[in-house]
Amino acid sequence: MLKPLPLAALLFAFAFPFLPLGDRTAFIQQISLFVLSSAVLALSWDFLARTGQLSLAHAAFFGLGAYTFALLANAGVPQPIAFLAAGVFSSLASLLLGVVTLRLHGMYFAIATLSFAEVLKTIINQLPFTGGSQGLLVPALFGGGFLTLYFLGLAMLLALVVISELSKRSKLGFAATAIRQGELVARVLGVNATKVKLQSFVISSFFVGLVGAYAAGKTFYITPPEAFSASVSVTALVMPIFGGLYSTAGPILAAVVLRILEELLRLVIPQGYLIGYGVILVLSILFLPKGLLSLWKK
Amino acid sequence: MELLVQTFLNGLLQSGIYALVATGLALAVGVVGIVNFAHGEFLMVGTFLSYALLTALGIDPILGFFMVTAIMFAFGAFVYRTTLRHVLKAPELNQMLLTFGIGIILTNLALQIYGSTPRTLNLEYQGSSLQFFGLSIGYARGASFLLAALIMLALYTMLSKTRTGKAMQAIAQNRIGAVLIGLEVDRLYLIAFGISSALAGMAGVMVSVLLYASPYVGLIYTLKAFAVIVMAGLGNLRGVIPAAVILGLTEAYVQTYAPDGGGWAEAVFFALIFSTLIWRSWRGA
Repeated sequence: MLKPLPLAALLFAFAFPFLPLGDRTAFIQQISLFVLSSAVLALSWDFLARTGQLSLAHAAFFGLGAYTFALLANAGVPQPIAFLAAGVFSSLASLLLGVVTLRLHGMYFAIATLSFAEVLKTIINQLPFTGGSQGLLVPALFGGGFLTLYFLGLAMLLALVVISELSKRSKLGFAATAIRQGELVARVLGVNATKVKLQSFVISSFFVGLVGAYAAGKTFYITPPEAFSASVSVTALVMPIFGGLYSTAGPILAAVVLRILEELLRLVIPQGYLIGYGVILVLSILFLPKGLLSLWKK
Repeated sequence: MELLVQTFLNGLLQSGIYALVATGLALAVGVVGIVNFAHGEFLMVGTFLSYALLTALGIDPILGFFMVTAIMFAFGAFVYRTTLRHVLKAPELNQMLLTFGIGIILTNLALQIYGSTPRTLNLEYQGSSLQFFGLSIGYARGASFLLAALIMLALYTMLSKTRTGKAMQAIAQNRIGAVLIGLEVDRLYLIAFGISSALAGMAGVMVSVLLYASPYVGLIYTLKAFAVIVMAGLGNLRGVIPAAVILGLTEAYVQTYAPDGGGWAEAVFFALIFSTLIWRSWRGA
């Protein structure tokens, strides 16, 4: 069923936490958690992009997930429920946004998502129960041990990988491709374009919400500017483009490469790594629009 | 009553800047066919150019205005030549991502150079204002509005009277038809995008005088410009002015009358975008 390369990657992913890593174990372990959560973000972004829709709202669903988890967990709701609720709540919000905007032409959706992310930050800042700009303390997710977090991250990624691969062979996947390549033709052929786009959006946002809760439970503290940081949306969309759009392997590959590069860069320049992401984005679109994977296939 | 009228004035004066920014974006969308997510960042570059001219060379923004306009026209032309021109036929997703990437680069470059603290310009005429009937209009604010109105008038005259302007309108109406009748599309795109960028730059100088220069003003102006052109209908130049006035007035009234209004005024653009989209999607546009 699995080809040798993905199988090797999978085995490595399972063996990784038990490898001897030397002096820098804690640092490398932290990076591995970032790689996992970035990979989920990137793949979930790509999942929606397959319908030709550009979402600039990953930060919004990330922040919603983080705040849902924090508020529920602080109120004494059992953590597994609070964690899942983060995903569900993000999905519901995306459903609301999608119903209004996905019926229209693609650029309306991009504009609406960008402003949705910005306005949500304002609202969370103003609401009485979110701690405002002071932020919120968040309990450690499932105790916060490295192994727990690692395998939770891996489980999220694998679940999304399975969905992504299954959808490629399903009606949803074919319909998404048809819409991307020509929405009018797809509609004429009987594809319910709005429904397909909505389904993809809701699935995608569910995982973004989970990652938001995951990240919040890992850092113990959230504020509106950080939970709704535009950098979340940026990394989520740069990775699939750099790795290879509309594939499962591309976004994951790019998450591994870019996230490790980012952490190494931060050792040299603490701020400003986002310039790097901007440059990679522009150069990829101009010179490598099919991503790293296309080099491989040549 | 006075508060009501004063609020109306504040909103109206603010809408001059919105009209400039949004007209620039409407040119990019309507003529070049590029949804420019970096448009607000072009404005942000304008604010810092104005700041740099004043602090480094001692050039007052009144004179700096013309220099920034020229620089930003060249900058827009440069961006078009080096990047946008190569994705004109690419999928819309790629085009939007490209401009988004340009915006990220500009914002973070400004953050690297100037840091995140807003920079204010110190000018004598900033504080003074005109008083009448218990109302007040800041000189700088009033002058910006008049200047904006003048620029808009000049632009509309250019679009309706000159050959270049008419050609741009032709492209906006029918891209393929414009090529078929032999319009030099590439040159017109370059000029249109240059003007678009110059308009953002002009608004930037005004923002630097009235408010401050900050790396973060870019995103908010991108969003407000989108709110205006979404209300006007993407690429529809004629609707831009009334839509800009609606945005300016709504913000001013929310700021004055809503409880804790300062914070919520920043959400007005979203309410406008969202309600326009709902209206449009029900109408089935």
